[in-house]
Amino acid sequence: MLAVDDVSLTVGGGEIVAIVGENGAGKTTLMRIAAGELAADAGTIERSGTPSLVHQHFMLVGELSIAENLALTQRDRFRFATRSTIEREATRVIDESGIELRDVTRRVDELSVGEKSKLELIKAISRKPSTLILDEPTSVLTPREAEDLFRVMRTLAANGTAVVFISHKLPEVLAIADRIVVMRRGAIVPTSAKTPNELAHAMVGDLMERQLPAGRSAGFQPALVDENLVVHKSEIVAIVGVAGNGQTEVAARLRDRLDAASSGHIPEDRTRDGIVAEMTIAENLALTAKRWSPRQAARHADRMIELYSIRARSSAQRAGDLSGGNQQKVILARELDRHPDVIVAAEPTRGLDIEATHFIHDRLRSAAAAGAAILLITSDLDEAFALADAVQVIYRGKLSERLTPADAQMRVAGLMAGLA
Amino acid sequence: MRRFVVALIAAAVAILLLALSGAAFGHSPRELLALLVEGSIASRFAIEGTLLKSVPLLLTGLAVVVAFRAGVWNIGAEGQFIVGALAALLAARWGVAAALIASMLAGAAWASIATAMRMWRNAPEVLTTILLNFIAIHLLGWCVNGPLQEHEQRYPQTDAIDASLPSIGNLHAGIAIAIVASIVAWWLLYRTAEGLRLRATGFNPFAAKWAGIHVNAQIVRAMAVSGALAGLAGGIELAGVTHRLFERFAAGYGYSGIAVALLANLHPLATILSAAFFGALATGAGELQRTAGISSAVSTFGQAVVMLVLILFSAIEEKRWSR
Repeated sequence: MLAVDDVSLTVGGGEIVAIVGENGAGKTTLMRIAAGELAADAGTIERSGTPSLVHQHFMLVGELSIAENLALTQRDRFRFATRSTIEREATRVIDESGIELRDVTRRVDELSVGEKSKLELIKAISRKPSTLILDEPTSVLTPREAEDLFRVMRTLAANGTAVVFISHKLPEVLAIADRIVVMRRGAIVPTSAKTPNELAHAMVGDLMERQLPAGRSAGFQPALVDENLVVHKSEIVAIVGVAGNGQTEVAARLRDRLDAASSGHIPEDRTRDGIVAEMTIAENLALTAKRWSPRQAARHADRMIELYSIRARSSAQRAGDLSGGNQQKVILARELDRHPDVIVAAEPTRGLDIEATHFIHDRLRSAAAAGAAILLITSDLDEAFALADAVQVIYRGKLSERLTPADAQMRVAGLMAGLA
Repeated sequence: MRRFVVALIAAAVAILLLALSGAAFGHSPRELLALLVEGSIASRFAIEGTLLKSVPLLLTGLAVVVAFRAGVWNIGAEGQFIVGALAALLAARWGVAAALIASMLAGAAWASIATAMRMWRNAPEVLTTILLNFIAIHLLGWCVNGPLQEHEQRYPQTDAIDASLPSIGNLHAGIAIAIVASIVAWWLLYRTAEGLRLRATGFNPFAAKWAGIHVNAQIVRAMAVSGALAGLAGGIELAGVTHRLFERFAAGYGYSGIAVALLANLHPLATILSAAFFGALATGAGELQRTAGISSAVSTFGQAVVMLVLILFSAIEEKRWSR
């Protein structure tokens, strides 16, 4: 199968172009070719200046500070610079970008995922590229941060920069893009879609028939109790909040505290914590299995590939070669198939397309229907409201009281900003 | 398959460079190559020498494979080898089986000191295992000059032990033990759930931890097994070949194990071939020294060349990946 096949795309200066499509549709591959990171087997690229690509996965040096990471992008300028010059310059670059990121002396390892993505964006903008390509820029941002980003994008476009961005969030695509390009299975789909629904149709072909949410009944006994957090059997509780308010710590604490045999964990950083890239899909699926034989594992993996519609050549494929959405499905399959009593899912659909998101939501719902207690940690409010029986807001490491979804809709914005 | 070709190229380049380097000492490369082959595989005597040299290399190589697969950098096979041999010497009075068991326990314990320091204060095992090597080397030196010195007190060496591995001619049963050990190591690493978890820990300890694997337990166990294998190598060398200990007993077998493991791409079965290659190289180098007067240290040179070629290839590969 080809990742990208016979695609022709022109982007002019001052234009904002959105590229939408399912996981594995070839969006990232196409953009990496355009940016010169990957070589195409055939075809030509014409461009003025070098495009700057902001990756879905971070390209940062964890051991260095924010300021040092920014200085790395302009190595020639900072050959003999002192620490204070680098930090002053970094602060200036950040201010200029219009993106909020405080304290440039912090080590990148210590930043939250949301902050890391901001830093990536600042890095790209600081190069003053003629073309800026953003891969899933809003997937880790709060609505307000996303608004800020759009403002930055518009300013850049107004100054003549061509802006290309990959996104799964159709409303925002419609709101900001001058032009929308839909990709499906490595090709561009001609479309004149004007609404999210039409776009979704163009992306997935025929929208699969959606399962209705499984009926859930709360009121079972508590399965997970942690400080002021309670999750009952068959219940989904969502922790929402702006990235970097202690969500990562909650997930890590629960991982260490809960019994590994009866709990499933979907980590926030799927490439670092979720899969073992060097191992095969079958091996990744068997990590927690009681027994291991290659043949049996391959059979099991084939079943999981089918059941979780993982798009892979075979169960012997390296997990690291899968697209983000398919890696996530591998993790989901591994963690859910053991039927754990408690599931902690952190940002389970970050960066995934609609189809994969629906799929994962359905799986989580049916796991709850089957009796699992699910703690959903997410910065995507739509996701929280789509799934949760109860919502708690996290702000500076503290959890709010338990809210019903209806209450939460009224109060969540204030709580997230620390106002309540 | 590609890995195998790369390993073959590395081995071939090493031999080629060895032969060419002879020119610097006024020998023709062809003559040197002939001597290398003659000294390592051309006669029954040469083959026996190669096999005997391969046994400790195979076991220390396996020790490195097991540790590296778990992501722990055990550079201490040399020290574990020595401590294993010392324990075997002390336990030899109860028979050869007791000696070998003692060597494994001692090697495992010695390696576990490094693990304990890692768990206790996060001390990097690369450092601690190397430092433990020095301690082991000096411990041996003290023993053979002091409490364990032979009765005549003439040379810095111990008395010969009575226990001996069963053997046919010069070939002792250690060869079979080492080959069985590689098959068992392969089975454990690639055919058991714990082996899968050990390898996952080595590749990505973060993901392993999130998947519910007890990462520290994997590291503790891998290090203990690794130390036991290196200790066993020392025990077999004592009970099968030297029968006594002396200062230069370890002769770099522990460090050579690293080259053996890397040439085998950290695969237990490939380690058999890799150990045989380095065993032949060392035996052939002995012949060079006897006949052509070239220091047998050239076999160390050969190891270095193999490692450099392997590193070169993986650097090229990485470059290709990142494009």
